[in-house]
Amino acid sequence: MRASWGTATVAALGAMLAPGLAHAAGVSAGTLIQNTATATYTSGTTSGSVTSNTVTVRVDELLDVAVAGLTTTPALAGASNVVLEYSLTNTGNGPEAFNLVVNTAVAGNQFDAVLQSVVVDTNGNNTYDPGVDQVLTSGQPTPSIAADGSLRVFVIVSLPGTAIDGQTSQVQLSATAVTGSGTPGTVFAGQGQGGGDAVVGASTATQSANDALIAALATVALTKAAAVADPFGGTQPVPGAVVTYTLTATVSGTGQADNLHVTDVIPAGTTYEIGTLTLDSAALTDGNDTDAGEASAAGIDVDLGNVAGGTTKVVTFKVKID
Amino acid sequence: MNKLLIAAVSGLLASMAAPAVSAQAAQPVELKGDVKVVKVVVENGQEKRVLIDPKVVVPGDKLIFSTAYRNTGVEAVKDFVVTNPIPAGVALAPQGADKLEVSVDGGKTWGRLAALKVNNAAGPRAAEAGDVTHVRWVLPMLAPGASGTLTYNALVR
Repeated sequence: MRASWGTATVAALGAMLAPGLAHAAGVSAGTLIQNTATATYTSGTTSGSVTSNTVTVRVDELLDVAVAGLTTTPALAGASNVVLEYSLTNTGNGPEAFNLVVNTAVAGNQFDAVLQSVVVDTNGNNTYDPGVDQVLTSGQPTPSIAADGSLRVFVIVSLPGTAIDGQTSQVQLSATAVTGSGTPGTVFAGQGQGGGDAVVGASTATQSANDALIAALATVALTKAAAVADPFGGTQPVPGAVVTYTLTATVSGTGQADNLHVTDVIPAGTTYEIGTLTLDSAALTDGNDTDAGEASAAGIDVDLGNVAGGTTKVVTFKVKID
Repeated sequence: MNKLLIAAVSGLLASMAAPAVSAQAAQPVELKGDVKVVKVVVENGQEKRVLIDPKVVVPGDKLIFSTAYRNTGVEAVKDFVVTNPIPAGVALAPQGADKLEVSVDGGKTWGRLAALKVNNAAGPRAAEAGDVTHVRWVLPMLAPGASGTLTYNALVR
């Protein structure tokens, strides 16, 4: 899926041509322009009129396209897939389909995203609807887009395993008219809408745009501390002494840790003290119920769910030395 | 008797109608329309404008519509007025528009573009080349054998 040409060159070309894309598509391809002149006159005492032959010009199909990245602030890419949005506008004057190419290896990238799929907004609601919107197979063009019509395109990517939190990347979507592209003025004889020719317009009939994403990853550090309280007011680990374990989960990074659990086993030779499980100083019941934690003679399990970077969670429980 | 008379009258009408048609064909003036497209070609690194037959025409292209006239009769023709509605799909080109007599209201009123106004929701505004609906040329007299060509420039919308 990597294009062979230099990305920087293409981006500069797009900027140069942008002003030319501002005008609307104009008269529809296949329209007949017909001109007839009429003259009136007097000759002697009579007046008359005469009509010229009618000259007819058929308007050919102009091949033009505009592509824009709609993801204006870099998309945050974590463990799940990221949806990048682009708009594709047929700035020509006839219905046209476009071939799409995704380039994930844009110059300057700190990582290259992994392409998952290219999807068109079949139901036109500007939202990616998995299972509803059509996934384009490799090499499959978009459906035909009417002159002046736009189609939203979703490019689904994921982070490579090598990405580091905070790194940025760009993904380029290129669209090329199926009929053809090239230097403005290039003619594809007989291939225009309405029986005429197709002519490449100022956009060269191929354009591209970039969307940006940023790796938003999280790392989790877990520390465990134990405090012993013996029956005599001391800190000796003797039978009957109570050990309080403190498990501290520190999530760092700009992303989040998904579905984070803190689990521990009750050490051999000790017995869990019923009803001593806490999360951030709040008591949790031992049962497997609606609160985040559960505990048994075998061990504890606290479900922290999705935890954002910069958050610290503290779990404590107590055991008695047999 | 009455039936015969009617038959004779209708026969007379038919014979009168026939010469009228042939008089139409033998008009003292002929008009011949043509169109060319202006293309810029690069020759030896120099841009050059050429007029070619409009084989390939796309929005934004410049067309030159021409009407050639000739007095083919033996008498002078007076009050010769050639009227040309601007076809749908093109607009009168701003370049050269000020030299033409134009109408922006379907041929009801005429004048130079700069003197004409069009009404829109916000009130009257100065007419632009794109508002022009008709162009016309008025020639007071065509001598026998006189000929010429009338042209206007248009842009494909």
